[in-house]
Amino acid sequence: MKRQNRYGLFMSIPMYIFTLVFVLAPLCYMVLLSFLTRAEVWGVVNEITLENYQNIFTPVYIKTFYESLKLACICMVFIILVGYPFGYFMARLSAPWKKRVSMLLMIPFWTSALIRMYGWIIIFRSNGILDKFLMGLGITKQPLKLLYTYPAVVVGMVYALVPFMIFSVYSSAEKMDWSYVEAARDLGASPIKAFFTVTFPLTIPGLMSGIVLTFVPSMGLFFIADILGGNKVVLVGNLIQEQLMKARNWPFAAALSVTLMLLTSVIIWIYRKVAKVKDLEGFY
Amino acid sequence: MKNKRKHIAHRMAIGAVTVCIMVLLSGCGKGKETQSFNLFTWDGMFPQEVLSGFEKEYGVKINYSNFDYDEDMLAKLETAKGGDYDLVIADDYIIEIAIGEGLVQKLDKGRLSNWGNIDPIFQGHFYDKTDEYTVPYGAGIPLIVYDPAMVGFEITGYEDLWNPALKNNVALIGNYRVIDGIVLKIMGKSFNEEDTAVIGEAGKKLLELAPNVRLISDNNTQDYIVSGEAAVAFLYTSQVTQALAAREDLKVVYPKEGLGFGIMAGFIPSQAPNADIAHKFLDYILKPEIAAKCFEHIGYVCTNKAAVPYLSKEAQESLSLPEEAKSGEFIMDISAEANEAHERIWTEFKARLD
Repeated sequence: MKRQNRYGLFMSIPMYIFTLVFVLAPLCYMVLLSFLTRAEVWGVVNEITLENYQNIFTPVYIKTFYESLKLACICMVFIILVGYPFGYFMARLSAPWKKRVSMLLMIPFWTSALIRMYGWIIIFRSNGILDKFLMGLGITKQPLKLLYTYPAVVVGMVYALVPFMIFSVYSSAEKMDWSYVEAARDLGASPIKAFFTVTFPLTIPGLMSGIVLTFVPSMGLFFIADILGGNKVVLVGNLIQEQLMKARNWPFAAALSVTLMLLTSVIIWIYRKVAKVKDLEGFY
Repeated sequence: MKNKRKHIAHRMAIGAVTVCIMVLLSGCGKGKETQSFNLFTWDGMFPQEVLSGFEKEYGVKINYSNFDYDEDMLAKLETAKGGDYDLVIADDYIIEIAIGEGLVQKLDKGRLSNWGNIDPIFQGHFYDKTDEYTVPYGAGIPLIVYDPAMVGFEITGYEDLWNPALKNNVALIGNYRVIDGIVLKIMGKSFNEEDTAVIGEAGKKLLELAPNVRLISDNNTQDYIVSGEAAVAFLYTSQVTQALAAREDLKVVYPKEGLGFGIMAGFIPSQAPNADIAHKFLDYILKPEIAAKCFEHIGYVCTNKAAVPYLSKEAQESLSLPEEAKSGEFIMDISAEANEAHERIWTEFKARLD
């Protein structure tokens, strides 16, 4: 038994080294960078300052955080509305159909998310598929300007993230003991009442982990806002990218990243408090 | 006993795998015997024909790596301490910084027999006043292009973009120094204004443009005017060339408030592994007939005067520098403070969109 433990430790050393080198070290570098000062022309100078963090609290930048949270919340509502019922009914399918449906959900992941967003452009653009369809039905008379709008960004985000919600809810509903529901029904509960008193509370962990798995990335998916929003929706992710690549203000970009990470850590902490579970369901 | 032996076997296997990985890792980076030439620039800066022609003529393998932003290039070059790459083609302002950081080596003009083909209009500018480091490769002026069928009036300058008739119909490139800069031009100031109060003032005027903006994009911005997604577009030169090639009915405007101007140029990094081939390549692309192919491909203003007769008739017209542009203003690097002011008004502007 003891040897088994030592053996396990030995096996996990490469993982620890990997984590230290590729996760912890860059993280420390970023935190350090966020306290430095940008150089006049290029790079950074070793002068410790809090200015980068103060800068975040200027109205224009704090508004970006607010906008990101707002968009994430709006997307969350739609992700739950689509993802929860989908995951729930998927868990009720027969075994071969479960496999087929989860296969269908996985296939799009074989293609780059960026390319899938270009697919939405073809649907949304002026005189695109959706326009032709609506005009063909006589619902609209002229091409709508659907692309590069806020709703287009929401659709893109929901599309990109909904599978994570589906799989979380699915794994939660799948594990559930359906005899509880049968018992509730036998004791006279209506299907709706049985759902809200039995099924729903039992699938909350799945729902919560779905929320964390989709809410956190939705703060950083800047390319969707770029491609479908025509750069008109500025998220924290866009701001970090721009500060890093165009404005050459690396310390400020680092400070924004650290703040974003703190924010998402708080969200995960709240999740653990509320759901009273340690691990995220579905993917672990 | 058997169990123990099994463990030893396991450990040996793990050890073997570790050794293999280390060998593989150390194997990276060692090239083959054929000479290779590392070219670092934006995507699609050369026609394949020209690259293949050079490979064949000199028996060299070209490794073309590309970047999206000049800043990305400089960061990588800095990490490599001026090594790894043999030739870089980038924008004027970043070359000035790269030279200042000591990442660029002087050209050996004795090895550039076609040096005299360069049009002197594009030499001796701020980033390389004495022409010791760079070979210009294309110049550009951001211009307005519009579809007369969709716009009910004649556009003559930047200020027309603010016209309420263009609501939700303007496509813009995403370079904030250029977009903020056109507001400064309307105000009669310079693209390179350093006074943060003036930049802040420009920011207020910029906010008024928000309702007219259909989208902002740096890549293939011309597609939006070609497809009719926008009625007016403010574009980079290569995009203007492509838009006009796709639709003859589009009109180009040289804004009356004054033009911005930029030059792209090639330089050899200070520790280039193969500076010799880099010189050969520069000399090769300075040959008139080769240069003509390159400029027709990239669609930027031709910086090689000997190449002009080799250009097609339409290209001779579209790739030559118009008289108005000679008074164009370089968009140069400004102080960190002014840059931050630009960044702030740009973020405010984008937050106002939609």
